[in-house]
Amino acid sequence: MSKYVIEFSKTGTICYTSHLDVMRMFKRAFKRAGIALSYSQGFNPHPKMGFAQPLSLGYEAEEEFIEFETPDDREPAELLEALRITMPEGIDLKKCERQRKERKTLSSMTCAAIYEAVIPLHGKKCDVDGQIGSYLAQDRIVTLKKQKKKKELKEVDIKPMIRQITGAVADDELVLEMLMDQGSTSNLSPELILSTFMTFAGIDTDRSEVRVKRKKILFTEDPFQ
Amino acid sequence: MKIDKKLDKILKRVEKPARYIGGEVNSVVKDPTEVSVRMGFCFPDTYEIGMSYTGMQVLYNVLNKNPQIACERAFAPAPDMEELMRQEGMELFTLETFTPLRQMDVVGFTLQYEMSFTNILNMLDLAGLEVRREEREETDPVIVAGGPCAFNPEPLADFIDMFLVGDGEELLEQVLLLKQEASSKAEYLAKCGKLDGVYVPSFYDVSYNEDGTVRAYEKLVPDAPDRVRRAVLQDLDKAEFPTANIVPFIDAVHDRSVVETFRGCTRGCRFCQAGMIYRPVRERKKDTILDIAMKQLKNTGHEELSLLSLSTSDHSEFEDMATELMGLCKAQNVALSLPSLRLDSFSFKVLDEIQGYRKSGLTFAPEAGTQRLRDIINKNITEDDIYSAVEQAIELGWETIKLYFMDGLPGETFEDLDGIADIAKKIRDINYDIRGRKGGRFRITVSVSNFVPKPHTPFQWAPQDRPESFIKKHDHLREKLRMKGVTFNYHETKTSTLEAIIARGDRKVGSLIEKAWRMGCKFDAWTEYHAPELWEKAMEETGVTAEFYAYRERSYEEILPWEIIDPLIDRRFLERENEKAKQAMVTPDCRQGCAGCGMNKHVKCFYGVEEGRFPVNTGKEAAHE
Repeated sequence: MSKYVIEFSKTGTICYTSHLDVMRMFKRAFKRAGIALSYSQGFNPHPKMGFAQPLSLGYEAEEEFIEFETPDDREPAELLEALRITMPEGIDLKKCERQRKERKTLSSMTCAAIYEAVIPLHGKKCDVDGQIGSYLAQDRIVTLKKQKKKKELKEVDIKPMIRQITGAVADDELVLEMLMDQGSTSNLSPELILSTFMTFAGIDTDRSEVRVKRKKILFTEDPFQ
Repeated sequence: MKIDKKLDKILKRVEKPARYIGGEVNSVVKDPTEVSVRMGFCFPDTYEIGMSYTGMQVLYNVLNKNPQIACERAFAPAPDMEELMRQEGMELFTLETFTPLRQMDVVGFTLQYEMSFTNILNMLDLAGLEVRREEREETDPVIVAGGPCAFNPEPLADFIDMFLVGDGEELLEQVLLLKQEASSKAEYLAKCGKLDGVYVPSFYDVSYNEDGTVRAYEKLVPDAPDRVRRAVLQDLDKAEFPTANIVPFIDAVHDRSVVETFRGCTRGCRFCQAGMIYRPVRERKKDTILDIAMKQLKNTGHEELSLLSLSTSDHSEFEDMATELMGLCKAQNVALSLPSLRLDSFSFKVLDEIQGYRKSGLTFAPEAGTQRLRDIINKNITEDDIYSAVEQAIELGWETIKLYFMDGLPGETFEDLDGIADIAKKIRDINYDIRGRKGGRFRITVSVSNFVPKPHTPFQWAPQDRPESFIKKHDHLREKLRMKGVTFNYHETKTSTLEAIIARGDRKVGSLIEKAWRMGCKFDAWTEYHAPELWEKAMEETGVTAEFYAYRERSYEEILPWEIIDPLIDRRFLERENEKAKQAMVTPDCRQGCAGCGMNKHVKCFYGVEEGRFPVNTGKEAAHE
């Protein structure tokens, strides 16, 4: 039995597929590529395959990770080639490496992520650095968040989960780069930074015009080790 | 594929945007400059439903294999998407290249159920096209339609330029290739009209009697056929079948590999349109089926395989095929699903093996509650068949039994409805006998659907029950089925009436469909969108009545609007079957002897069936009529 991790990007219209869609897409790609996955034991066996962190519908991503286990032992380069030819347009597989068998899962090692949001300003002036400075200088940044189980809205202070925000304006567009907690211990959705920041800075661009991309996932350990 | 900002913005605001992006594995994108004809293949319902339809995958594959043709797809956008498209002035586009449908040479609709007809008009409108064929321009695409509902094309005759009736694998390709040979729409229709299976409504003028029935079809083009013969594919085994189906990104209703094992059915149920219009039985060979199945699984990565036909176990090599498929699927971690099995001991062995400890429900379709009524409809299943199968099922561990019936069948009385309750009760008692007084978690679901008489069946002359009668019957059944462990479901009555009106409609029904659509009707097959009050209003305004189209018994003398289509089965056979029904006389399965439907005057029955497996009909048997 061998464990591998693959790095890939998700760009273009395929960003409109959901996390579950991409899971199914990979599962089927493995089948088409003739790569058998190991299955968990028990009443409801499922293939041993997982992502570092789910990606929201509509987001592009530059550096995503998927790990999987197979009963066969094959060269990473060979696996990568077999998978590459069967992936849909927009999913580009970059590299594949073997993983230590005893290593923790990628999702449990995920601790933060960097997102980039591109916000058209429609001629509106924006003092980016000033706005970001005073946004982050607030004592608390309170917003409403939907709870997972109860589906009720609850007030949360997101400030402790924001690690860094930088921004620049070019071609009438504001580009925000946001580093925030992500993963199983502390998790913040970039949507909450976006909505609170845009309200704070008085930017009334419609959400549907904003393009978001996950640029990087940060881990507590090197995922390729 | 790059999309423009307008669409990108819309996609961020709609539910399940992946329905509108194409790009799925095995979808085919061609350079428009390298083909001579482009077709927009439209399914008049949402993506999830359309992508479950095997016929689209079959035709998409046949057409795109031809280097001269590009076949692209379009589905009905969900209401949230439609609203934004209209707001932003965006026309309906194909998923392969995001080209407006209006720029296709031919736009085709598949007609699977009557309640999707308003969506056809809506999609034409969203594409920026006039819905009425006479109002469209020479430069607009030619609008074609095919599928089971094309066997009565008349309700859509005002909107569609050309109907393709019968098997489409060869016909549609032929029709598309003729496009480049014609310099005008008229010339194109004239050329296509010479092919079997092509009905061009503008070639005929229909006159009506004072009572509203058809007086005559007058040909406006001298060489138009008196009746349009349906297209028949003789050798199914050699016909193209997809081995690399499109794999949707999102969860479609059915998202699995599928192989059609045979076309047609020998059972001759008198209510069943599919059993009549797909005659005769033509088989694909076992080895061909296995080969296609394995290629599909390899090329799609699907985790489930299913077989498609009107009655799975009737294939002449079924047992060997099922055994081999089970082995192959098990080795690949693929779930095998075998719908509509005849429940004999072999099937139980197979089902027990493929479902293991995770048993789904078992479904029986007795269709009617007493032997007399089952004889009337020629559904050759006895109560003993059902009870012995149920006994085996319970012993093997099944805990859910589903029973399908119809109400409003010709000759039905309340005793037949009581029979439905008796069957449910008897099944419950069998469970008590086997599992003891408490009976475990055992559940019986009784589903009753309202009978809708369909064209080209022995019941095409029959009156449909009135809504009051259906409601009374549902009430009666609800009382009788008030039993522990039994769930009773039934269909919306108003929808059934409307279905009956459209199913047996003439050209006048077209104005009703248009009126209803203009009032806002669409997605009528969806309970949450269907608006019966709007349809009632549209009926009042257009003078189309349920009295005339649904509740009325037709006489053998009447010219029926759908008889412009020749299904290749004799009208006399349908009349004979209808008369036998009135006396509760059964007609045996074709495999036990020819029933004389007349099909074998045109093509060979049991094509592809190995000699000796079944009595192969030679045509002599038909001489008795």
